[in-house]
Amino acid sequence: MGIEIGSVKLSMDELATRVAQEFAGELTNVSVQEPDTIVARLERSELRQVARRLHDLAEIAYDSLNWIAAVDYRTHLESVYHLYSYATNTYLELHVEVPRAKAAVETVCDIWPAADWHEREAWDLMGIRYEGHPDLRRILLKDDWIGHPLRKDYVDLAENHPHV
Amino acid sequence: MHIFLAILRCVVAIVIAYMVVFVAALVNILFERRTLAFMTDRLGPNRTGWQGALQSVADAFKMMGKEDFAPAQVDKVVFTLAPIMVMIGAVSVQLVIPYTKGWVGQNLNVGLIYIIAVTGFTVLSILIGGWASHNKYALVGALRAAAQIVSYEIPMILAVLVVAMAVGSLSLNAVVALQAGYKWLAFYMPFTLLIFYVASIAELNRGPFDLPEAESELVSGYNVEYSGMRFGMFFLNEYAGLTIMSMVVVTLFFGGWQGPWADALVIHRVAVVPIAWFLIKTYILVFLLVWVRLSLPRLQVDQLMGFAWKILIPLGLVNIAASGAILLWAPHWRLVMAIYSWAALVVFVGLFDPVLRWRLNQQRKKVAVLA
Amino acid sequence: MSDEFVTTVPDAALELALSRIASSTAAGEGSDMQGLRLDEVVVNMGPQHPSTHGVLRLVVTLDGEMVKDVIPVIGYLHRCKEKLAEKRTYYQYIPIPDRTEYVAGMNCEWGYVMTVEKLAGIRPTRRAEVIRVIMAELNRIASHLVAVGTFTADLAPLGTAMVFYMFRDREQILDLLESASGARMMFNYFRFGGVRYDLPDGWVEKCREFLDGFPKMVQEYESLVETNAIFLQRCLGKGVISQQDVVDYAITGPNARASGVAHDLRRTRPYSVYPELDFDLCLGQHGDVYDRYKVRIEEMKQSRAIILQCLDMLPKGPVQVGSLKPPYVITPPPGAVYTAQENPRGEYGTYIVSDGSRYPYRLKYRDPCFINLQIFPKLLSGNKIADAVAISGSMDLVLGGIDR
Repeated sequence: MGIEIGSVKLSMDELATRVAQEFAGELTNVSVQEPDTIVARLERSELRQVARRLHDLAEIAYDSLNWIAAVDYRTHLESVYHLYSYATNTYLELHVEVPRAKAAVETVCDIWPAADWHEREAWDLMGIRYEGHPDLRRILLKDDWIGHPLRKDYVDLAENHPHV
Repeated sequence: MHIFLAILRCVVAIVIAYMVVFVAALVNILFERRTLAFMTDRLGPNRTGWQGALQSVADAFKMMGKEDFAPAQVDKVVFTLAPIMVMIGAVSVQLVIPYTKGWVGQNLNVGLIYIIAVTGFTVLSILIGGWASHNKYALVGALRAAAQIVSYEIPMILAVLVVAMAVGSLSLNAVVALQAGYKWLAFYMPFTLLIFYVASIAELNRGPFDLPEAESELVSGYNVEYSGMRFGMFFLNEYAGLTIMSMVVVTLFFGGWQGPWADALVIHRVAVVPIAWFLIKTYILVFLLVWVRLSLPRLQVDQLMGFAWKILIPLGLVNIAASGAILLWAPHWRLVMAIYSWAALVVFVGLFDPVLRWRLNQQRKKVAVLA
Repeated sequence: MSDEFVTTVPDAALELALSRIASSTAAGEGSDMQGLRLDEVVVNMGPQHPSTHGVLRLVVTLDGEMVKDVIPVIGYLHRCKEKLAEKRTYYQYIPIPDRTEYVAGMNCEWGYVMTVEKLAGIRPTRRAEVIRVIMAELNRIASHLVAVGTFTADLAPLGTAMVFYMFRDREQILDLLESASGARMMFNYFRFGGVRYDLPDGWVEKCREFLDGFPKMVQEYESLVETNAIFLQRCLGKGVISQQDVVDYAITGPNARASGVAHDLRRTRPYSVYPELDFDLCLGQHGDVYDRYKVRIEEMKQSRAIILQCLDMLPKGPVQVGSLKPPYVITPPPGAVYTAQENPRGEYGTYIVSDGSRYPYRLKYRDPCFINLQIFPKLLSGNKIADAVAISGSMDLVLGGIDR
């Protein structure tokens, strides 16, 4: 036995309609990007419960988190979640809009353990705070770095380079 | 006058003993580096001197020229004492080893016990060296080394006892005399030789048993805080031990200095040709030690101790009992001993691998992957 | 705190480790170091250490010989590749993904070039597709040689022999790659719509010659290692990754396949000419260190089969779309695309957001080693420190990808 990949065979359109129906209120702008990705938007207030339900869905559960990216769209930030379903062998891309002013969103660490370091990296480089994360500290930059470099309005301060 | 000559003789003997140890260590370092290189498809040091012969000398000069410092928090007296003491074992063993016919430092009639006692000296200096370094890594390495050396002395003693029983005396000259006429004990008791040899590899902290100085895990273990010539002493002692231990094995099992044309060249009543045989046999065994080191991965500390206590010691005890019975009651002890020992060797070597694999596979099945 | 391995300022990782000890010991004492008592000690392995591959720092909490907790600290090789992308045109950026997983440069370049081609709607020529597969699979063999070689080097001193033999054979592959692309390691070979240079004369014959001699080499490695009882004792049953862990922690590549999860992007999300090629997936059953080693050896054999098929079906034609020069400045339409390819270490992908200009708006790497490293605390706890070294060697980490 064990984990089977692609045991549930649905066409992308069927799958997209099913997901859209399942999460009728929460997921908006559901579309299919060939060959095997469903793209949708999600409000950040509904992230956790949708994430929990996606993880526990019957048959087509999105049980694996592939990556979390943080993108800076000048007017707002976005936390992009890329999920994978072993049963259907398809991906689901969720875009969660995060305001620039108080950039915070809830963590999904307890739902998908793989989210841990992705969220730390998004905090480190983009400055999105993941509430409820067990250990949110910088991961790639040194601990006392000031600023979040991947932001479009990042200015590099001299304090960050004391040895230069 | 006699006192003066006696003292002079002592001093000369000590100097020769230390020279043998140093020269053996330097030769061994180069020998090992070139042998390892050839076995791994490389060349090794071949530029300094003819075929790299002066490489070890150059390394020794480099080490002597390094800054001699000690970390601030070490115990100064003990820190200095440890590398000085470490060579005592290697040097003292040479007192009783017969290099050629009639030429032995002191024909002690407890030679075998003396060897075992003195090779244990290294434990002391490793322990105090590791402790004085005031360093977690060093202490853990030193404790492991001490545990390992002490554990593996027991199979060594058990094997040596069989040799002593066969010879009827503890004197090394008697051991060599028993093996006259190519009746080497290696042909009659290969199983005992195997036990002694494996235990001696562990005594030297060498080959698969080199956990105390494991570079990739503890970064050099008990001698991590030593640098320059202090480290050089530990280092030289380890390589000198290769030669010294091989000399012991040759004397006990391979007939010591015996070989053809023993009386061909005699200078001042010292036969010169047997020295050459002795050295040739010793260096064949040193080559074997280097070969074993290259070929086997390192044993972990629990596997190491398990191997000593659960496998070698019981086998050593069984060996003593069987050999004792044969020596006591068998009519032609050499023949019976040979049959028993070769049979035991074949059975042990043949069964070891399959049994180990079977046990490992059993353990492996217990860990679930579908959980 | 009298822990003498702490430098003047204990950094966040060490403080975290010590605070975890404090919260778990009844007495509430943070550090153990009174004199030289060895209760729970916090030991720093790295970033310079002979057996952590690359500048990886592991803050290990030891209880005697047992590892209680591991906190990996990364970022010593962070080169801001994602930020660099925003100031370079798509074409200027091509050499940079090479340097993430530098041991498998061709595969990494392909990951980036594939995404841009999908964004811009460029389809490479058929000859270029086949050449890309050949280069990627050759690089897969080279990468696995490094992975297995350095893994056995951690179990030293057997490794001193194995590593040299494997690197000697890897030299032949690097010679092939050098004669095709001009460099031994940072290839800069892939372009949008094809590859930069066609294969030189005689390359195919040299490649076949190498592949003919390869099975014998692999047999030599297997015989050196698998008949060795000590090696088996250190590998069998250690560091088991369960299938649920593979799903939870998104582990991909040989590490996942060794646990029996048949996740290989060449099969589950095929790209290029892989649908036409016939090869087997190498799966393990127990997910331990030995299986991860074995899967890599088997994958080398499968890669050889793939390259032979590709050499047979290598069509004639141009290696670059477009007439004379590769497109230097492309401006893909606005959008966001993620594609991935099967790196020797797992799923290596890039997510590119384009706003219609010459520069990428956002480039994000999905790096397999970064994700595989997350399971370390769970995997190494409860093992002895020597096992920890063997297990971390079997996970095949390349810090270039972890830190980017």
